[in-house]
Amino acid sequence: MQVFMQHILPLLIAVVGAMIWLGINALLWVYCERKFAGHIQRRPGPFEVGPHGALQPLIDGLKLMGKQLVTPDNADNVLYWTAPIMTMIPVLLLYLPIPYGPVLTGMDVNLALLLILAFSSFNGLAVILAGWSSNNKWGVLGAARAVSQAVAYEIPLLLTVLAISFMTGTLSLVDITNLQAGYIHNWFIFKQPLAFIIFIVAMFGETNRAPFDLAEAESELTAGFHVEYSAMGFGCFFLAEYGYMVVMCSVCSVLFLGGYHGPIPGLDGWWWMVGKTFALMSFMLWVRWTYPRVRFDQLLNINWKWLLPLATANLLATALIMKL
Amino acid sequence: MEVLAKVAFGVYTLVILGGAVLAVSSSSLVRALVGLITTLIGVAGMYLLLATPFMAFMQLLIYVGAVSVLIFFAVMLTHAEKGGDEAGKAPMKTYVYGLAATMTPAALLGWLVMKHPADSMAVPVEVPIKQLGEGLLGSYFLPFELISVILMVAMSGAVLLTWEKRGKK
Repeated sequence: MQVFMQHILPLLIAVVGAMIWLGINALLWVYCERKFAGHIQRRPGPFEVGPHGALQPLIDGLKLMGKQLVTPDNADNVLYWTAPIMTMIPVLLLYLPIPYGPVLTGMDVNLALLLILAFSSFNGLAVILAGWSSNNKWGVLGAARAVSQAVAYEIPLLLTVLAISFMTGTLSLVDITNLQAGYIHNWFIFKQPLAFIIFIVAMFGETNRAPFDLAEAESELTAGFHVEYSAMGFGCFFLAEYGYMVVMCSVCSVLFLGGYHGPIPGLDGWWWMVGKTFALMSFMLWVRWTYPRVRFDQLLNINWKWLLPLATANLLATALIMKL
Repeated sequence: MEVLAKVAFGVYTLVILGGAVLAVSSSSLVRALVGLITTLIGVAGMYLLLATPFMAFMQLLIYVGAVSVLIFFAVMLTHAEKGGDEAGKAPMKTYVYGLAATMTPAALLGWLVMKHPADSMAVPVEVPIKQLGEGLLGSYFLPFELISVILMVAMSGAVLLTWEKRGKK
């Protein structure tokens, strides 16, 4: 009983909390995305359901749940339905080690950063599995693009994270946050500005967001890897995409923007963490509706010819400065 | 807690064995790959049980996240159909040979482990990654560097192979 109270109960609470948080974020950001898109393109966006269309995502969710699940002809039935589940489950796990506040941390593990990076790499696999098993040309093309993209953008992302952990000597998100306490100049964005920029760019590549959403590219591949998915099969990919975006933005605000610490001491709390994460999320939406999609060779060239050398140089420079 | 650990051990063993059976028994290459991935995830679970979370996460990051994705790419390029040359039922002899080939090392290793049990602690102690890093760059420096030389050779070999092909065109 004591074991249960000490170890399992907090974990259960954290998992349920993560689920609720994921649901809230999905509803909020689907709405924001459509509203942002609308206003950037000089139209109101969803407007009919609820005040200013605020209930639109809820109604959309109900619609997705009510629709029929269709498996395409000659598709690999088992793998086809494994993919959306495989993309959803790790997302819940990713929220657990993120410190939203001094107390508001699902589980404080030493290797939190590594845990997030390890489990977020499941997403790439799920995308490929979905594209391949749909028995659809566009699906396979999307999957093939997803492979080269996922493998490529993981490397600069890891190198920038490594630069931060060189500086701090830890992989724990709580420790990294606490090292940025005090005034705003302690935030790592001022010590690692290049790493911050590389991380932001690689973040778009990792989460398959425009301008790097080559795996779905609706203008050329209709919807790429999830072209055949209907109802909640599609809903899972959609939910997971927003889930991964929020996770990456949270990690970015912990690594570079001081996590739950405010710009001046004495105002720390979860509101900073949520505010920073949401600001980064809005930035991602803003970029999506501002820039056109890049070509695939451009996408890979940006990564291999710019991000990777820059990230390596940044890491070496960090190591040198740390040694001195 | 001890019971929970045993349950976890059983679950991970089932995951590993299930993945292995899926990998060898399915006629579709991609399903076999999914079996391999399942096994890799199970092995990561075993690392967690041994109180080496660093190894577990590295296993997931490198094998599940990168290596299996690359294998997937290779499988996709070959356009593997389900009905290949070896899709038909194999003769009984093949199964016997296969079973013997797998059971021999398993039995040998099992017998060795039973005969000479290694000294182990009842509860594994987590080695901090700092100590791990110091070990790799201190007392085990030479083997660590030699492994990276092997990787380097493999990588330059791959590059060399593709260069030759380009020259012939």
